Amino acid sequence: MIGLLGGTGAVGRTAAHRIAAYGLGPLRVGGRDLSRATAVAAALPGPAHAVRVDLNDPAELAAFCSGCRVVVNCAGPTYQVLDTVARAAFAAGADYVDIGGELAAKDALSSRDTDRGSRIAVFSAGVMPGLSGLLPRLLADGRRLRRLDVYVGGAAVFTPLSAVDALLTRGPKFGVPMAAWREGRIVPNTLGPLHGVRLPGFPVPVHAWPYLTTEAQTLAVDTGADEVRSYNVFVSNRLPDALASVWAEVADTDPAALAHRADAVTRASRLDRADFGAFYVMLFTARPHPGAPPGPTRVLLTAVDSYALSGVVTALATRAVLTGSVPEGVHLAAEALDPDATAAALHDDPLVDQLTVL
Amino acid sequence: MKELAGIWSELLDLPPDEIPHDVGFLRLGGDSVLAVRMSALVRKRLGVALALSDVRVETTLGELAELVRRRASGEPTARALPIKVTPRPDPHAEFPLLPLQQGYFVGQQDGWELSYDSAHYYLDYALTGVDGDEAADALADAVERLAVHQPTLRARVTSDGRQHVLPVAAPGAVPQVRVHDLREASAEEIAAALRDVRHEMSTRGPDPTRGPGLDLRLTLLPGGEGRLHLGLSLLIFDGWSSSVLSRDLLTHVADWNAALPPLEIHFGDYVTSLAELPATETWQADRDWWWSRLDALPGPPALPLAADPQEVRPITMGNREHRWSADRWAALRQQCTSRGVTPSTAMLTAFGVVLARWAGHRRMLLNSLQLNRLPLHPDVQRVVGAFAATMLLPLDLDPAATFAELATAVQATSGEHAAHNLVTGVEVGRELARRRGSRRPVGPVVFQSVLGVDAAMGGRPPEDAGPLGRVVATDYFHQLRTPQVAIEVRCFELGPEMGAVFSLVDELFEADQVTAAFAEFTALVDTLADGSGWDRVPGLAEAADPGQEDGGLRLGLLPEPAVRHQEGPPADELEQAVADVFEELLEVPVLDRGADFFGLGGDSLLAVRAVVRLAKEVGTPVPVREFLADPTVAGVALAVRSRLGDQR
Repeated sequence: MIGLLGGTGAVGRTAAHRIAAYGLGPLRVGGRDLSRATAVAAALPGPAHAVRVDLNDPAELAAFCSGCRVVVNCAGPTYQVLDTVARAAFAAGADYVDIGGELAAKDALSSRDTDRGSRIAVFSAGVMPGLSGLLPRLLADGRRLRRLDVYVGGAAVFTPLSAVDALLTRGPKFGVPMAAWREGRIVPNTLGPLHGVRLPGFPVPVHAWPYLTTEAQTLAVDTGADEVRSYNVFVSNRLPDALASVWAEVADTDPAALAHRADAVTRASRLDRADFGAFYVMLFTARPHPGAPPGPTRVLLTAVDSYALSGVVTALATRAVLTGSVPEGVHLAAEALDPDATAAALHDDPLVDQLTVL
Repeated sequence: MKELAGIWSELLDLPPDEIPHDVGFLRLGGDSVLAVRMSALVRKRLGVALALSDVRVETTLGELAELVRRRASGEPTARALPIKVTPRPDPHAEFPLLPLQQGYFVGQQDGWELSYDSAHYYLDYALTGVDGDEAADALADAVERLAVHQPTLRARVTSDGRQHVLPVAAPGAVPQVRVHDLREASAEEIAAALRDVRHEMSTRGPDPTRGPGLDLRLTLLPGGEGRLHLGLSLLIFDGWSSSVLSRDLLTHVADWNAALPPLEIHFGDYVTSLAELPATETWQADRDWWWSRLDALPGPPALPLAADPQEVRPITMGNREHRWSADRWAALRQQCTSRGVTPSTAMLTAFGVVLARWAGHRRMLLNSLQLNRLPLHPDVQRVVGAFAATMLLPLDLDPAATFAELATAVQATSGEHAAHNLVTGVEVGRELARRRGSRRPVGPVVFQSVLGVDAAMGGRPPEDAGPLGRVVATDYFHQLRTPQVAIEVRCFELGPEMGAVFSLVDELFEADQVTAAFAEFTALVDTLADGSGWDRVPGLAEAADPGQEDGGLRLGLLPEPAVRHQEGPPADELEQAVADVFEELLEVPVLDRGADFFGLGGDSLLAVRAVVRLAKEVGTPVPVREFLADPTVAGVALAVRSRLGDQR
C-alpha cells in the first residue's frame, strides 16, 4: 500500500496518477475533503481508495500510515508539516517521500533520536528544490567544471500556500541572494540581477535574480565546480518586487504574518501568466576545464506546469524508494536519486515538453 | 546626503563616513529587500516618496542623492539638462568615444560595408597676396599656439576605441605643416602637383590612432598666390569644428599676438560629463520616446542600385556640385522667411521630394547630421572636437500637398525629433538594426546642412590672414569620405554664396540617374528661390512604401546575409572561448553558439574590443568585418578557425 497525502492538490493529483500508472501498488489517497479525495482515487489508472485524514491529528495520521510501505506527502505548507508526517510514517514502519521539506525538515528528522531502523526518507522531491539540484549532475559526470550555471523559472501562478512557502524561502537555510560560489566558498554581493536577457529555452527575454540556494551550494561541493551561479528567473520584475516588498515590511519569518501578505505575490504571478502564458524552464549549463573529457554541457527542460512536473518528480522518487535504488537514511532528492534514470523517465513523460542533454 | 548616508549605514551596517558615493548598493552588501527598506526610510525621514522602480540595487549613494533632490524639489521633467560640464582633473586622461565617433572608428577598421581606411574631410582653398617668405613660419607658429588653445589638435584615438589628448610637449603632439614651394614651377608642374596632393589627401586621411587628426599643408604658387590644404579626421573634428578651427587658425596667423578668450572646458570634459546622461530621467524619456517609435519607422528610400553595397570597395566618394549666386541665395532666404521655414528645411524637403520620385515611394527614413552641441556650458560652441551626432528622421510626404505644405510638415517632424536629441541616431540605429535583425546600415541616405552656421558664429569667416594673404572662399576643392553612407547631400555657405553637393558611392548607382536626380534637385531649389515652386504639388508617387515587384537591387531592400547556425551549447573549446569573451564584454550570460553579439546588447565598438580581446585569447586576430558579418559565437569561432587554418 502506498499512502498519498495531499492527493487533491495541484501536485498531488499528478503524483497519484503517475504512481498508479507506474504500477507501484494500490494507493491510499488521503485528503481533508473525502469527496474530493474519492474523486481523485476513482480517476486513477490503478487500484486506489480514498481516506479522510487531517495531518494535524496524530491519531488520524498514524491510522493513515499504518500498513503503508511508503507514505508520500504532497501537502503543505512545508513550514508547518516539517517532519510530522515523516515521523508518523517511520513509526508505522513505512518509508517516506515529501515534495518539500528542504533542509529544515531533513535536519529536524535527522536530529531526533527516534529509531529510524533501515527506513528511508526523501525530502524536496519536487522541481525546485529537487530536479534543480539533480539534473545539473548530468553535466559533471566524471569531470571537473570551470563553471556551472543554473537558470530556473518562468511564468507560473503561485497558489496562496506556495506563495507563503516562497516567502518563507529566505535566510541562510535556503540561500544567499546576489552570491556566487567560487573556489570552494560563498562569495556574497558579487552577482547583479540580469534584466531583459535572452536565455536558451526561455521563450521571452527574462529577468534573472541571482540566488545561491543551499541546494546549489551542495551541488558545487559535490561536483567540485570552480564556480556556480544560480538564478531564479522571472518574466517581469513583478514577482521579485512583490517578494522584496513583503520581506521588507514583514520583519520576521512568521508564517501567519506572511500568509496575510501572500496576496501581493499571487497577484503578481497571475499578472505574469496573463501577460506571458504559463511556461517553466530549467536550464543548466557547464563549462568544463579545457582538455576535460568530452561530455554534455547543457541540460534543458521545458514544461507548461511546474506543479504537475513536481508531481512527476515525487512519483519518480517514490518509485526509486520502492525499487531499492535509494539507500537507507534521510536524504534530499537531488542527492539521492539517479540523475540518468530520472532524466530518462522525464524525457518520456507527456508533461515534459522537452528534455535535452546536449 | 548625510541623511542618506545614515540610512545606508544602518541598513548595510557600515560607518556612515565610509560609504563611497560612487559604488552601487549591491556591491556594498545591499539586496533588493534592503533597497525596499531603504526607500521606506527615505520616505519616513526625508518625506520623499520614491517609486520602487527608482531604486535599483545598482544605484549609488550619489545617484540616490540626486534622485531624492529632484523628487523633493518636485522638479518637472522639463528639458533643464541635469548635468554640468566641469574641467577634468587630469586633462590627459582617456575618455570614451561618442556614438558617431565610434561609428567612424569601426568604419576605419573596415568594420562594415561602405567603409574606408579613414573617415575624413579634405578641403583646399585659394590664397592671394601670400608673403611667400613668411607664410610657412607664420602658419607653423599659429598651429603651435592653436594647439595650446584647442587641445583637440593634440588628440589621439587608442586601438581599442578610446581617446585622449597628448601633452603639448609630447613628441609629435602638435600637427606639423608641410609646405610645397611651387613659386618657380611651370603651369604644367603646378597642375600635376595640385592633382597629386588632392589625390593623396582625398584618398588618405589623417589617422588619429597614429598621429594628429589634422593634416595641414601649404602650397606656394607664383605671383603671391597659394593654397591651404586641410585634411580633417572626422574622428576628431566635426563640421562645426572645422569652421571654428579655420577661423581660429586664420586669427592666429593674422596676428602673432592673437589671444582668443580662454576656453574653460574642452571636448574631453564634455564627453566625460555626458556619461552621466543615461542615468537622468530626461535621457530616459528621450529613449522611451524613440523606442516606442522604432517599429513604425520606414526604411531608407528604395533607390535602384547598380551593385550590392556589400560587394563594392569604394576609395573616394563621387560628387555632384552646384552653387547658387549671392542673389539667388538671398532670394531663397527671403522666400523661406515668408513661408515660415528655415532654408535648411527647404533644402531637406527638396531632397526628400527628389528621393521620393527617384525611389517611387514617399515614406522614408533619412539620416541627418546634427552639428549642434548640447548647451551644457557657455564655451561649448567655441570648442573644437567631434561633437556631432546623427538623428534619424522619418519623412512621410503627402502626395496631395504643395511644396510649402510639405516643408511646413517636414519642419514640424524635424523639430519634434530634434527635441529628443539626447539619444542620438547612432544609438537609435543600433536598436533599430537589432530589432530588424539587420546588419545593413539603417540610415545610408544622409542630409547635412550648415546653412546659418556662419551667422551663428558671428558672421563670415575672416578673409585677411596676415602673411597668408587673403582667403578666396569661393575657389575651393573638397572631398568627403564617411562610412556607411550611400548618398548624402550637404548644403553650405561660401562667403555670400550657397552651395550644395551630392556625395555618393559612385559604384552603387547608375551615373545618369544620379545626374538626373541632382538636376531635378537644383531646378527645384531654383523654383524656391524665384518663388514659383512653393505652391505647386510636386507630384509624388501614391505608394507610401516600396513595392517588391521590381526584381532589381534596391536600397533598404537588400538581402540579409542568411547565416544561420544550429543553436545549441558551444560545440567545442574554441566556441566556448568566444562565448567567454562575448560574456566578459557584454556582461550577460552567453550560453548558445547561435547567440548574436548585437542581439545580446553589443555594439560595433564593443565588437572591436572583442576582436582585440579574442586575439589575446586564441592567438589570432579576426578582421572586424568578418566579426561583424557573422557576429554569432559559432560564426566568430568559424572565422578564427579559418584564420588558424590559413596560418598553417
